[in-house]
Amino acid sequence: MGEPVLEVEHLSIDYVVGAGRFHALTDVSLRVDPGRVVGIVGETGCGKSTLARAIPRLLPQPPAEVTGGRIRFLGTDLLSYPAWKLPFVRGTGIGMIFQEPLNSLNPAYRVYDQVAEAIRIRRGRDASPKDVPRSRVEPFDYSRGPPPVSTSSALAHPLTVGGLAARSAERAKSARGATWDEALDFLRLVRINDPETILGLYPHELSGGMRQRIMIAMALSGRPALLIADEPTSALDVTIQAQVLTLMKELIEEVRTSILFITHDLGVVAEMADELGVMYAGHLVEYGPVEEVFHHPRHPYTAALLKSSPRRYKADGALDSIPGAVPNLSRLPTGCSFHPRCVLARPECASDPGPPLVPVGTTPGAPATHLSACLFASDVEAPP
Amino acid sequence: MGRSLTDLAVFVAKRLLFLIPVLFGVIVITFFFTHVAVSNPCAVWFPRAKAAQLAQCAITFGLHQPLYVQFFKYTANLIDGNWGNSPAGVPVLPVIAVALPATLELVLASLVLMVLIGIPLGVVAAQYSGRLGDHLVRIFYLSGWATPTYLGAVVAAILVGPFLGLPTGGEYTSTPPPFAQVTHMSVVDALLAGNLPWAGDAIVHLILPASVLAFVNMGIATRMTRSSMLEVLPLDFVNSARMKGLSEFIVLYKHALRNALISTTTVLGVTAGGLLSGTVVVEEVFAWPGIGSYAFSAITGYNFSGTIGVVIVFAIGVVIANMIADILYGVLDPRVEWR
Repeated sequence: MGEPVLEVEHLSIDYVVGAGRFHALTDVSLRVDPGRVVGIVGETGCGKSTLARAIPRLLPQPPAEVTGGRIRFLGTDLLSYPAWKLPFVRGTGIGMIFQEPLNSLNPAYRVYDQVAEAIRIRRGRDASPKDVPRSRVEPFDYSRGPPPVSTSSALAHPLTVGGLAARSAERAKSARGATWDEALDFLRLVRINDPETILGLYPHELSGGMRQRIMIAMALSGRPALLIADEPTSALDVTIQAQVLTLMKELIEEVRTSILFITHDLGVVAEMADELGVMYAGHLVEYGPVEEVFHHPRHPYTAALLKSSPRRYKADGALDSIPGAVPNLSRLPTGCSFHPRCVLARPECASDPGPPLVPVGTTPGAPATHLSACLFASDVEAPP
Repeated sequence: MGRSLTDLAVFVAKRLLFLIPVLFGVIVITFFFTHVAVSNPCAVWFPRAKAAQLAQCAITFGLHQPLYVQFFKYTANLIDGNWGNSPAGVPVLPVIAVALPATLELVLASLVLMVLIGIPLGVVAAQYSGRLGDHLVRIFYLSGWATPTYLGAVVAAILVGPFLGLPTGGEYTSTPPPFAQVTHMSVVDALLAGNLPWAGDAIVHLILPASVLAFVNMGIATRMTRSSMLEVLPLDFVNSARMKGLSEFIVLYKHALRNALISTTTVLGVTAGGLLSGTVVVEEVFAWPGIGSYAFSAITGYNFSGTIGVVIVFAIGVVIANMIADILYGVLDPRVEWR
């Protein structure tokens, strides 16, 4: 497999708000190998986004406080990395796609300015490499995609400030040449028709799906070794969601970047991920190859989650739900956090926090990479 | 309505038309206040005049006529381009035309200071919100805000100026300068004449009055920048800028501040109008030959035409400053349409 791109070891993060202390992440460990897609699922508030933002050190401290663990990116410990050097890891090392395409592009700048910024940063680092962890992945072929559609943006705009800008953009095109062409390539990579026009527009002139494509293009244009996608489709309409998911699936084939894919949608991970981690109340409760976790869940929470997701062929049409509610992170239940809602719970579950993730390969031939944090992992029944 | 240059032209034209009712209101109020407060200022103008001379004075200045007649005469003259004379017979308009540029220079200099110091302070306060940096900035701008202009000006002139070795009066060390005062802006004139030593001298003379004006008025810019930065910083585009690999400086000042500036600009427009009238005290203290010290002498000398003239100029200044702020608003935010 080679050296892992990302290793998170026993990471614990609290939020300190006033006198309260919320355990957002408790003892989370995972690893992303080169070219692999690792999915993380869980309910809202289970710590997924905290994990996503903790890795490139985007969490503001305070209120966040790392209480233990390590984050190793290409062998470098990011938690002890000097803050002033962090920008050198971001973009070209770790790229990120956010949940809200409405907010993730700067409303004050045109699409070109925002994409070009990312491209220029990567060029600068290619030209004068610094001693920082970077992509060890071969540069991917980003120039595929639909053939260029040539339109003159000057004709497309009447006498507007935007039109003037587009026209001056036209004029400056020869000057910026290579960056402009590369920005076009990245827009084509994410299947945007007429990228010339789109580059001259402001984010508010674009639809949510289009903005998310541009976000993806922007993140990929740094050619990161690791791409973190934090619920990239949750804020989109269902039809647009499907389009963006299809796009991402195709890109995973084309672009051999490692991906940490965070979502609350089991269907999405099933299609995308190689490995799957299930989170509950800040804990990683089950981890393993996607097929294994889906067909042989070894944690009652995973099983309950699978049962409660809509399936195409369900006889009575009723949907199961997990009893109870997600616990308050400042007052987690004693023992296993899930025991008050667990169908398998026994008295010892209220006192014993359960094992850290341990291999549970009970079925013959099951990989040793399938891990569960349940005391009674072998009692879990797969949903029909 | 939209964002084209024609929209901008229509917008400016509308705002300038809006000036007419504003000016009319301002003239009516100032005219009646001054003339009702002192119905016959001849005795003040010429304290040693005899009764017959005073009667002659009232006739010369038209003060014996009913107030509305005086008002219509004044307004008719104004529309003709005659802004009236001072009691000593000096025409108002040429004096204002020379004094206004000096004041504009002072106001622009203090605006530059407010933008270059006040706005970054707001960014720092937001960056360290709730921590030491935030508190220090708050102490600084609140102490400016709480200082009355006259106190700040006097303290700067008697304590700060001598302590720092800065000049505390006038535009140049000696007057008149050895070059033509084309624009009546001290620094600009010296630069136009290519006289660098005098330009430097003019800048040194600008420092104290401009700093006092800026210090007293800066608080609102800092406060607005801080609060709108606090609104912008949690938005995802700030993090997506960080995730491109940009340095924190670029993230804050290019991506976050650009969006936070929109509300700061509005406030700066309002403040810039207020700065004009704030110059009255500062110019008097620092012997700045601007419209502020002219206003002071016009009011204390019962120079009615001069007073109304100054108020007209201030009103135009306020309307234009707000108009510029609204234009900038559209330049900064591509979603805003000029209407």
